[in-house]
Amino acid sequence: MTRRLVVLALIVAAPLAAQQGTPLPAPPRLAGRVPAAALPAIDSLIAAAVAESLPSEPLVQKALEGSAKGVPADRLVNGVRRGLLQLREARILVGRAVPGQPPLEGHVAAVAAALARGLPPAIVERLLTAAPDEPPAPALHAAADLVAHGFNSDSAADLLVEAHSKGLKGVRLLDVAMAADHELQRHGGGTPSDALARVRAMLPNVPPVPPTAVTRRGPKGS
Amino acid sequence: MMESHDETHPRLIEAIELLKSTPRISVADRVMAEVRQLPAHDQGGARRLGRWLTRPHAVTFRLRPAWTLALAAGLAAILLIPAGPPRPLSRPGAAEGIAQFVGHFPGARSVEVVGSFNDWSRGMLHLRDDDHDGIWHAAAVLPAGQHEYMFVVDGERWVTDPLAGRFVDDGFGAGQENSVLIVRPAAQR
Repeated sequence: MTRRLVVLALIVAAPLAAQQGTPLPAPPRLAGRVPAAALPAIDSLIAAAVAESLPSEPLVQKALEGSAKGVPADRLVNGVRRGLLQLREARILVGRAVPGQPPLEGHVAAVAAALARGLPPAIVERLLTAAPDEPPAPALHAAADLVAHGFNSDSAADLLVEAHSKGLKGVRLLDVAMAADHELQRHGGGTPSDALARVRAMLPNVPPVPPTAVTRRGPKGS
Repeated sequence: MMESHDETHPRLIEAIELLKSTPRISVADRVMAEVRQLPAHDQGGARRLGRWLTRPHAVTFRLRPAWTLALAAGLAAILLIPAGPPRPLSRPGAAEGIAQFVGHFPGARSVEVVGSFNDWSRGMLHLRDDDHDGIWHAAAVLPAGQHEYMFVVDGERWVTDPLAGRFVDDGFGAGQENSVLIVRPAAQR
């Protein structure tokens, strides 16, 4: 009986010691999931990102995504390479908009995501310059939302910069984009310019998005 | 070797006399007598409880080896398996929010959500259609921020969520789009 208790104690204590003591090596997230034919090229792309102080997580995610979807190795590598190029472009934009500071990885990743959504680089740079000390993701997504729904990109940036100057920050900028879209739908005959003008007149009192009904066409997280 | 009756008889009589002279006290009687001799004023309920709690006691577990291993495996699993996203619905933390997924897939046998929030791993977040009306739904607590995802229908068909409202080309050259979800932190709602 005593021997059994000792064995039990050892089995229980080992994981505890592993958690509290020397950290175990990170789990290989790509090995076993990414096709062997693509793995060396993807590894080198990720290593390049790390060497250039770019965020590597978007590339890891892209590799995992393509593998899960069964994308052929050559297209998978091209997808990850395209991600690396967007990160490089994003870092240039962040560096230009916020000179004198090393670009933050989070900002670079957010800008790369906005570029992937089709937001023009000039609009990205303008929004970064308008709020250099804030996380750029909400403003960039708000602008990308507006552009995706037919609003002129410069007019969309104008509206968001004005909203920011009137105190709306962070995810509240997403409410501005949502309000513009609602205005466009509510007045079916109106133009996007009319909708933006009506939202501009509301600022800064755009209605907040209800917690559980947050997309234009159905319930979502936001 | 046999003794004669003449030698045995006096010994038996001697033994009977000895037994008669010894008082009849059982072991239990003697233990109780010892207990009664202890000072009564030390035996208050609280003090007895205190002594019982502070004195060492022998505790013995009797476990079957199979149960021992099962218990150890269970504890190891709890300690080792990280609680990664997405979590089943619970109260979100300050840097988390609740995401709801809804899709219309009449006739589907299974629908799941696969995305950047679960390392694009299958089998982690299934949608349900309990009333079999073709509308599948799920909710999960996710980290605040941007997530890309797709539905996987019947284990093989990758489908963009048409209700997402935000989309991005997945970059693999086949024109497929991921849905984009922005989870707002619960603290800012």
